[in-house]
Parts: sequence; structure tokens; C-alpha cells
Amino acid sequence: MTWHAPLALLERYAAGDLDDIQADSIEAHLPACGQCREEIAGLAGAAIVERSWANVVAELDAPRPGPLESALARAGVPGHIARLLAATPALRLSWLLACALVLGFAVWAAGEREHGAYWFLVLAPLLPLAGVALAYGPDVDPTYEIGLAAPMRSFALLLIRAVAVLATTGVLATIAGLALDGPHWSAAAWLAPSLGLTLASLALATRAVPLLAFGGLATLWIAGTGAGWLWAREPLDLFSPGGQLCFVLLAALAALVLIRNADGFECRGAMT
Amino acid sequence: MTRTTIETFSLYKRYGAADVVADLDLSIRPGVTGLLGPNGAGKTTLMRMLATVLAPSDGCMSLLGLNPHVAGERIELRRRLGYMPQEPGFHRQFTAFEFVDYVAILKEMTDARARHREVRRVLERVGLEDLAGRRLRKLSGGMRKRVALAQALLGDPDLLVLDEPSSELDPEQRMRFRELVSELGDSGRTVLVSTHQTDDVAALCERVIVLRDGRATFDGTPAQLAALAAGRVWAAGARDDRAQLSWRTAAGAHRHVGEPPAGAQLVDPTIEDGYLLLAGTAAVAGGATS
Repeated sequence: MTWHAPLALLERYAAGDLDDIQADSIEAHLPACGQCREEIAGLAGAAIVERSWANVVAELDAPRPGPLESALARAGVPGHIARLLAATPALRLSWLLACALVLGFAVWAAGEREHGAYWFLVLAPLLPLAGVALAYGPDVDPTYEIGLAAPMRSFALLLIRAVAVLATTGVLATIAGLALDGPHWSAAAWLAPSLGLTLASLALATRAVPLLAFGGLATLWIAGTGAGWLWAREPLDLFSPGGQLCFVLLAALAALVLIRNADGFECRGAMT
Repeated sequence: MTRTTIETFSLYKRYGAADVVADLDLSIRPGVTGLLGPNGAGKTTLMRMLATVLAPSDGCMSLLGLNPHVAGERIELRRRLGYMPQEPGFHRQFTAFEFVDYVAILKEMTDARARHREVRRVLERVGLEDLAGRRLRKLSGGMRKRVALAQALLGDPDLLVLDEPSSELDPEQRMRFRELVSELGDSGRTVLVSTHQTDDVAALCERVIVLRDGRATFDGTPAQLAALAAGRVWAAGARDDRAQLSWRTAAGAHRHVGEPPAGAQLVDPTIEDGYLLLAGTAAVAGGATS
């Protein structure tokens, strides 16, 4: 220890006149500096010393964030939002690794056959859909019921988690798309279907059991794209500009329904 | 006269054709109220409706003077509510501190320093301050119950809905639990405790409600519940088949509830005797214990 807090600063600290940042700085310094502790003990009454020490100990005892929370904090995400995200199953490393593996396999398979990009484009939107399905709900969140009884809107929690899941799977799918050996537009052609499917499933989840809504929509998507592969003359037309526009319209419509029925997430059964 | 904090009017919860809660009218004031009933009586369904996580099929409620049907009032109510579910789930990778901190964020406590102070306070109240840093997956069932109780205490709520809070607690912790709940009841809060533990009800509650098949079959004081069995509880040397219920006590005598066996002596009834008579065989199958 080579420096000491100026006496004037310690006096202001003892009088409780410092702002939070300066007070934090003093409290970070005090545990390591016996001289400043003695100095401040002479300035302050027993009550303030006790209170200040409680604050110091509290800071030292505060839990250290895990790897995900630390990474989110470095990315500028506020601490309380990072903690909400740390409880999201679809943001765990195991899930992200599984997504990366699936996408890697899809890219490899796409290079092995004609129109292989089609199957990559079918698969990529399913990952965010599954991720959002695993992000929140009675079947996947062990604290779902405690969360429902809390004042924070469940819809807000769902949106926070859904955005995080879409961002992470989006990055993975974009990287995989760039490695794709297909038409130049196919690297991003999964994006609109992904948004449309995810928002549509969330809109359905306001009125149905969430896992059923997500599972039902995923099944429909697989069946529809499978039929397209078998019977359409040009299956990739599904992802053409016309098809993309349809998915954007679906996303917009689903967003409207979602906003209108958002209260459906706030209570099990029809509260309103 | 003390205000009413929980009111239900002709409350129903239906699953298919079955009424799990039926035509329930309740009026509860601050203090500790116990909810007894055999398994399947509708206790947990009622608790979940009172905690605003489950919507009734019919009827209405007023909780702390607020209507949970109305979105704005529901949020205001949740700010003043603490809820401990019967089977609380946990993010098991969290420590006890991190988990309670997580729930504190859901309770709109965004300032980290104030929130951490509150988390420490509630963990201390349930005697877990020394285990705050331990992962939930490494805690025993009783300790996890205390973590669940701690999160319900966040923000010092006016209404506490506790569903079987004392199960899995060891005797010392049950005494601490009773101390805590009675303090909360004495300080003007409304505490509703659903339990199978009749001795908890006798020790803690000013009032007890017995549910059976979704309906309230008794609503009164613990002494009134015990009085239902007055003149129908006997001590005898041997088991008698005419008794509605009969068991051998630690002293070696047989305690009979129901018709008197030959040579039996009348004894003072307990709340458990009254409850067993009221709930009948359903209570025995459901496992009311003392």
C-alpha cells in the first residue's frame, strides 16, 4: 500500500457526504489500509464505522458472477439483466455447442448434394425456435411459478430471453451461412423465416401450452418444407424474395397478435 | 375492526368436468391462518389462485383490496405478495444467494447494493446466512425449503401465501419457522399457511380452514376444531374395531376417535382429533400428521 485517502475525503465519507462512486472507492481501499481505517475510526462514531464495515464486507462477500454473466457484463449488459439471462437454459454452453454442431453438420451435408442449401435453410430457423421454446415456460423454467407471482411482467422476461437466444443462435447461423456453398443470398435467407416462425410460435403460446405451440409449428414447418422438396419444381423458391416477404408479413402479424395478447403470459388460465 | 385482506366470492376452479375448488367464500384478516385438508382437497389449487399464478374458472377475489383480474392491480398486488409454492423449483447451478438474488430482480429490485442487502436479510431470517454461497444442488431438501421461504420474504410483503412450508424441516428448523411466521402474523401481515402438520396449525394459527373436495367444511379457531371431537376421544387398553380411528400411543394405551370402546376413559381432544373426525377417511389416506 503506497497511498492513503486524503483526510478531507475521509471526513466527507464519515459525514456521509460522498456520492456512491467516491464512497465505493473509499470502501474498496479501507480493507487493505490499516492507517486509513484508524484515521476514519477517529473521525466517525461507532455506528457509522459499523455501517461502513457492513458495506465493505457486503461488497467483498457479494457473489462473483459466473462465466456467462461476466461475458454479458463485458458486453455492456446490466448486472440484473445478466442474472436473468444466466437462468436461461437455451443460453447454456451445452445448448450453444449443440447448435454449432447441428449447423456444422447442415453446412457439410449441404455441400454434399445438389440443392443442399435448401436443407440448411429449413434447419436454421428451427434452432432459434427451439431456443426460445426452451427459454421460458412452465415446462422448462423451474422457477416459472415463483416468477409469475413476482411483479416483473413475465412477457418482459420472455422477451429479454428471446432476444438473447435469437442473437446467439443468429450469430451461429450467420457464421454457418457464410460457410455455405450455395446461392450468394442463401447465407441470410434463413433470417426472415426464423423471425416469422419464432414470433408466430410466441403468439400461439399466449393461448396454448407453450411447448405445444412451438412443437406444433416446428412440425408444420418440417412437413411443409418436406412436401416442398418432394413436389415443388423449384423448392428454393420458398426462400426467394417473394417467400421472404411472406415471412416478414407473418412476423409482423404475429408481433401484433403477441402484443395484443401479451397478458396471456401473466397468469396460467384465462385471467383476463 | 380489522380489515379483511383476502376475500373470495363463489370461487371455482374446474379441470374438465371436475370442480377442484367449488363455490368457495372466504374472508380472511391479518394474522396467521392455516389451511388443512387431505391430498386432493384443492388446497394447492386455492393457494395458487390466491398467489395470482392461476386464474379461477369462475367467481372473484379481492386480495389486499386489489382485484387480480385487472392487470395494473395484479402487478401492484404482486409487489406486496410473497409466495412459496408447494414444490418450488430452483436453478440448481445457482448458489442460495444467487437464487434469492434472481427472485429479487423479478421483484423489481434493480439496485445491486440494496438488493444484496435484502437478500442477506432474508437468508439470515431463515438461518441460511452461512450457506449463502453454497450451490443449491448441494443443499438438503430442508435447506432448499428454507431458501424457498427466504425468497417469499423478499421486500417484506403484506401477504404471504406459503404452501406446505414446514415439510422437510428438521425439528429445530420447524421451531424457527414457527417463530418467524408468528412474528410476521403479529406484525399485521396476512399469512396463509397450507399444511398437513396439525401441530403447526395448533401452535401458529389464530384461525383454521378445512377444505374437502374443494369446499370449506370448517372455518374457525384451532380450539373450535379440537372441540368438534369433544366427547369422542377415548383412551383404552386395547384396540377396538368400533372406533372410527384408533392407534397405539407411546405410553402404551390406545387412543380411539369415535364411539367409546368398553372400559375406555374420555380424554381431551386435540386439533388433530377434530380434523380427523371432520375429514374422515380422506384425511387418513391423505396423511394428516402431528
